[in-house]
Amino acid sequence: MIRVTYVAHDGAETVIEAEEGTSVMQAAVSNDVDGIVGECGGSMMCATCHCYVDEAWEAKTGQRSDDEDEMLEGAASEVTGRSRLSCQIKLDPSLDGLVVHLPEEQL
Amino acid sequence: MALAPLDGAITLDQLSSDPYPIYRRLRAESPVLRVASTGRTLLTKAALTKAVKDNPELFSSDDPQTPMKPAFRAHTLMRKDGREHFVERKAISKALTPTRIKTDWGPLYERLAEDYIARLPRGETVDLFTDLCGPLAARILAHILGIPEASDEQMMRWSQLLIDGAGNFGWKPEPFAASDAANDEMDALFAELEPIRRVEPDGSAYSLMLTADDPIPMSQIHANIKIAIGGGINEPRDALATILYGLLTNPDQLAEVRAQEAWDKAFEEGIRWVAPIQASSRLVTEDTELGGFDIPKGDTVMTIQASANRDEELFEDGESFFVFRDKNPHQAFGNGPHHCAGAHVARRTVGKIILPMLFDRFPNMSLPNPEEVVWKGFGFRGPINLPVVLN
Repeated sequence: MIRVTYVAHDGAETVIEAEEGTSVMQAAVSNDVDGIVGECGGSMMCATCHCYVDEAWEAKTGQRSDDEDEMLEGAASEVTGRSRLSCQIKLDPSLDGLVVHLPEEQL
Repeated sequence: MALAPLDGAITLDQLSSDPYPIYRRLRAESPVLRVASTGRTLLTKAALTKAVKDNPELFSSDDPQTPMKPAFRAHTLMRKDGREHFVERKAISKALTPTRIKTDWGPLYERLAEDYIARLPRGETVDLFTDLCGPLAARILAHILGIPEASDEQMMRWSQLLIDGAGNFGWKPEPFAASDAANDEMDALFAELEPIRRVEPDGSAYSLMLTADDPIPMSQIHANIKIAIGGGINEPRDALATILYGLLTNPDQLAEVRAQEAWDKAFEEGIRWVAPIQASSRLVTEDTELGGFDIPKGDTVMTIQASANRDEELFEDGESFFVFRDKNPHQAFGNGPHHCAGAHVARRTVGKIILPMLFDRFPNMSLPNPEEVVWKGFGFRGPINLPVVLN
């Protein structure tokens, strides 16, 4: 199992454990983490699973793709260099302990 | 395993007039059921409808035999999968993002809503369905798409004719003749406006698609706008009418929505309670199984979002309109790659602009005879009249 910490906009932390191969979005949705909607189920069509990867984890989560970049343009909250669609981050053992921050709003 | 049971009793008329008691029974007794009158396998549990929509490889939208093809005179993105769908969808979805809606379009939507609401007479009984919900949805959409030169009447008529053609599963000639005539009118207008939208980009869907670095073919640009016309008027119209009905027949909730300014919650609850798009079809690409039954390749399954939205496993007393639910994981906008491209626009316009504005102008609006409201529709559903007294 891989541990992920979601830090809500108000600072509240939720720690969950997810199986390898699931996405950061799926892990949030199946554990009822508020602040990630993921309405399109991970097909990069809705930009409601926006998150900011914690600085310490940036290198490990990798770069966003061009398609992801374009979809992020539509996100409801500010997009920064650390913005990702959490459906596009797949969990593997190298991400055990990952911390992501959640935006103020997704819709 | 066996094939799903076959039902020969449920009629299309029953599904159109009052489907909810049927769906409640099916969720309990037969959540995977071949319904002869629809020619489809109906899925009525939330887990099943979501699983199907989230798996486009196994449950394809690509239906070469769809009457949508002649109705739209194109194979549209609604009936495509994978990369092909993604590219066409991306071309139009840029005009529908939250950022664009908030920063660029918000003031215009507010002005349009103000104009249409200001026209309504005070102290009289008005059918909001015909006098507000339809025309305002049409006007806002015309601007988003970049064809504001089209009249409300044209937008609404084209939309209905495209829908009628797309649903013409009996392949009768009349609906296609009518949709052909509408296509001619639309194509002529699009051609006339093309040079203007190209030379003076205005952020509308048409303009963005025409001026993109790597534009999709013109035939698909037209098809995309038509899909938005066919799919972008009835839904916000029906959503608005449904939410108004829900609030006006539950005055306690209305008072609380007002106090908390919880219009966004009212919006989500309205579309959960009676989803404007109730059902969708998917073609099965490989032999598989669902809910313990064999589903053969070539079968068409129908996800009943309307029923998923009242599933006892997800919702307490899902049959009732109750704005202040803890969680509201409805599927009214669908799931998967075909998740409603207009979701953000609908939430913003209906939920954040029109509802508060309407109740602000007519604080004592009432629906004296809710039993006069007629609900209709199997694929698309909503009230077809809403006689309110505006005060």
